[in-house]
Amino acid sequence: MNKILEINKLTKSFDGGKNKAINEVDFYVNQGDICAVVGESGSGKTTLIRLIAGLENPDQGNIVISGKEVSSIKKVLVPEKRNVGMVFQEYALFPHLNVLENILYGLSKRKDKKQRAEQVLELVGLTTYKERYAHELSGGQQQRVALARALAPEPSLLILDEPFSNLDAMMRNQLRNEVFNIIKKTGVTAIFVTHDTQDALAVADEILILQNGKLVQKDEASRLYHKPQSIYVASLFGNTVQLNKGLKKAFQCPLKEDCCHAIRNENLAINVADCEYVTTAKIIKRTFMGTHSQLLLKLDNGENLSVVTNEAVFGDELKIGFNAKDILAFDE
Amino acid sequence: MKQAGNKHINSFLNSFYKFKRDINRWSFATLFILLLIAVPVFTIGIELFDGPGESWSHITAYLLPSYLKNSLYLAILCSITTILFGVSSAWLVTRYEFPLRKIVEFLLIIPLAIPSYIVAYAYAGFFDYGGVYADFMLWFGVAKAKIDLMNVFGLAFVLSVSLFPYVYVSSRAFFLNQAVNLLEASRLLGVSERKSFLKLILPLARPAVVAGLVLVIMEVLNDYGAAQYFGVNTFTTGIFRSWFALEEPETAIYLSALLLILVFGLILFEKWHRRKIQYSSVKSANSKTNSRIVLPKFQQYLISIVVLIPVVLGFFIPVLQLLIWAYKTADSFMNQSLLWLSFQSFGIAFITAFFTVFFALVLLYFSKWNKIVAVQHAAKLGVLGYAIPGAVVAIGVMIPTLFIDKYLIEKGLITQFLINGTLIALVYAYVVRFLAVAYQPLESSSLKVSNSIPDSSKILGMGNFKTFLKIEFPLIRAGMLSAFILVFIDTLKELPLTLILKPYHINTLAVKAYQFASDEMVMHAAIPSLFIILTALIPVIFLNKLLLKNE
Repeated sequence: MNKILEINKLTKSFDGGKNKAINEVDFYVNQGDICAVVGESGSGKTTLIRLIAGLENPDQGNIVISGKEVSSIKKVLVPEKRNVGMVFQEYALFPHLNVLENILYGLSKRKDKKQRAEQVLELVGLTTYKERYAHELSGGQQQRVALARALAPEPSLLILDEPFSNLDAMMRNQLRNEVFNIIKKTGVTAIFVTHDTQDALAVADEILILQNGKLVQKDEASRLYHKPQSIYVASLFGNTVQLNKGLKKAFQCPLKEDCCHAIRNENLAINVADCEYVTTAKIIKRTFMGTHSQLLLKLDNGENLSVVTNEAVFGDELKIGFNAKDILAFDE
Repeated sequence: MKQAGNKHINSFLNSFYKFKRDINRWSFATLFILLLIAVPVFTIGIELFDGPGESWSHITAYLLPSYLKNSLYLAILCSITTILFGVSSAWLVTRYEFPLRKIVEFLLIIPLAIPSYIVAYAYAGFFDYGGVYADFMLWFGVAKAKIDLMNVFGLAFVLSVSLFPYVYVSSRAFFLNQAVNLLEASRLLGVSERKSFLKLILPLARPAVVAGLVLVIMEVLNDYGAAQYFGVNTFTTGIFRSWFALEEPETAIYLSALLLILVFGLILFEKWHRRKIQYSSVKSANSKTNSRIVLPKFQQYLISIVVLIPVVLGFFIPVLQLLIWAYKTADSFMNQSLLWLSFQSFGIAFITAFFTVFFALVLLYFSKWNKIVAVQHAAKLGVLGYAIPGAVVAIGVMIPTLFIDKYLIEKGLITQFLINGTLIALVYAYVVRFLAVAYQPLESSSLKVSNSIPDSSKILGMGNFKTFLKIEFPLIRAGMLSAFILVFIDTLKELPLTLILKPYHINTLAVKAYQFASDEMVMHAAIPSLFIILTALIPVIFLNKLLLKNE
């Protein structure tokens, strides 16, 4: 497979080295792949893509795009010469230019600019909006213009910064599919940053997890979900209960005490008879949340446990348990 | 041991590589412009080593204490009065509804259109024998009524009524932006309106008030025309006297250096004051929906009168006096020479505004394009020129330009002065002094353009310069226009710097007014003064509209 992007030992700090926004990150992206960068806010996602785009200069390490070194400690290729496209979180459409002029902006050096602009406008389904200005478009339309503008010069790599964070939940699902259908159609390699793991699971070929500027795991979606390398990664993809000493004892689990284990909330079974590890618990507090309820439990050895369930639970006592195959084990 | 050494060398090499990678032509260009702006200050610093002039010991023994005393008196008295006028009117205008409120809100700014030396001329005439005040008192049977303003207290009064809008503007901005929400929260917690104002709003407004006050004090220290006319010895009049009357540049430089120390001390104080109190910059989201208190009619009229007092003192009385004089002197002055004079004044102001906006833009964007953080920080120092009194800038420009011209003549490259005593030196000095005036509106309008907009232009293949032309320039036009107008007015009003550096054959309205006043023909100063006020007034109105539209 052809590598479009290679990053080696990339490090960047904004305060002279005290706190590293990006800390010795290594990875590569294959041609045609869609790669998601996931992490909490402050984990360095945006810094990473700004480094790739050439908007920041690294402190250490290098970046190679299409076989050419574009950033290193000795030289940095300016953003305008990297052939990278970028869709910004707030779209960054030029407010004084209309849709067509926005799209033509990156095509000034091409002969077939008119045709190319028409082509991308059709791709995003906005041919009739050519004359409009950004403020005359809905959020979803603005995003499609931003996408068309970024795709127009046929970049070798497309970067999307939190593409759906400005949209409400309903729009989000629809637009996510639309945007990635367009991207798939063009076959461009894409990196997108998100704090929403649903986005990443839904469309990414590969997912990178950043924590405090470090790359903690890089894998395809299903492997990340089933074999997370740390509790941080596991908890990014849904409620996770860490099995501490007390919980292990309560469930009479024969796990090593000094090892780190966890169980996903959805693998905890309530009032099911045939679980391998079972205990009884008293319900201390119920919080009804519509589609599900949150229960605060006191297990019979006095440990507290908070679980989410969408089943109706009656009475003050229940049985709770899980199976050995669902236990997640980490090295830390 | 050896490994540790290698590590040091490596990290040093890395820093060196990074520096070499990040430094670009914009870094050098930024530093060059900064150097150009810093020349006057450096000159004064360097010239200090030549020692003071012969009269220095005389001045330190007899005059310096009075310079210090007078300048200190003026600073204190003006601070008290401008706070009284500025803060009270700002609060009444933002918090209460009263007749004429909208007009008064604007009128409170217009004293800024009159240079303080012109206010001084007008007031001196107003209270003198045969002035409006004497005529007024005659009605009450008081003959030969006169109030002597020609002293430090009169000067403080005159400067205060013409400078209070600085405090008004900065405290009003604070009140408008956040005070009302805080006050409503405080009222809901059961604290009375008056107590909320005194215990909550006033302490919070302090940084804003101090910011306005610093501008007032800088203007007080910068003033030459008013102090000279009133015969009050201040630092600035001292500089003029040593330069022109005693012909001792060395002494003028020593006084300038002292004044510079005072001013920079003031700036440091303000910075320190603001650093301690960061919250003044917090903006509340829905500041527009503040409701004003509607009092009974009688109290409303009372408020109208209270807020009109500073406007009447700072604008209407001086303008009335000028109009009377203008009427009396119209025949002898309303002719071509006045047109020519205005033309020169406007021409110089136009050229200055153009170059100042240009250099401010260059400094703003070059420092952004440069990748070295230290240079970005240093670029902010470029705006300190505004703090340097006009007379000091003038001397700091005079000395090096004279030096360069003399050198060029010696080399036989030119036959007469090229820079010194020409427009070049004058405009250069104006640019140094007014750079901050242009920089601030430009900076704030460029901050309104989100970073991702120029960033996306660059990613789409345009360099820094093309991005500026195609994207940023159209988006910051409003800021550029207000920057241009502000510098234009300031140049038109400027006196001390112009007096020292203007070419011999060129005259401005400000200089002409000053000459008439010093030649005991103050009546004749009225028409050029009114011209300045009128031109300054149009942009003030225009700018206010522009600012309102932006809000």
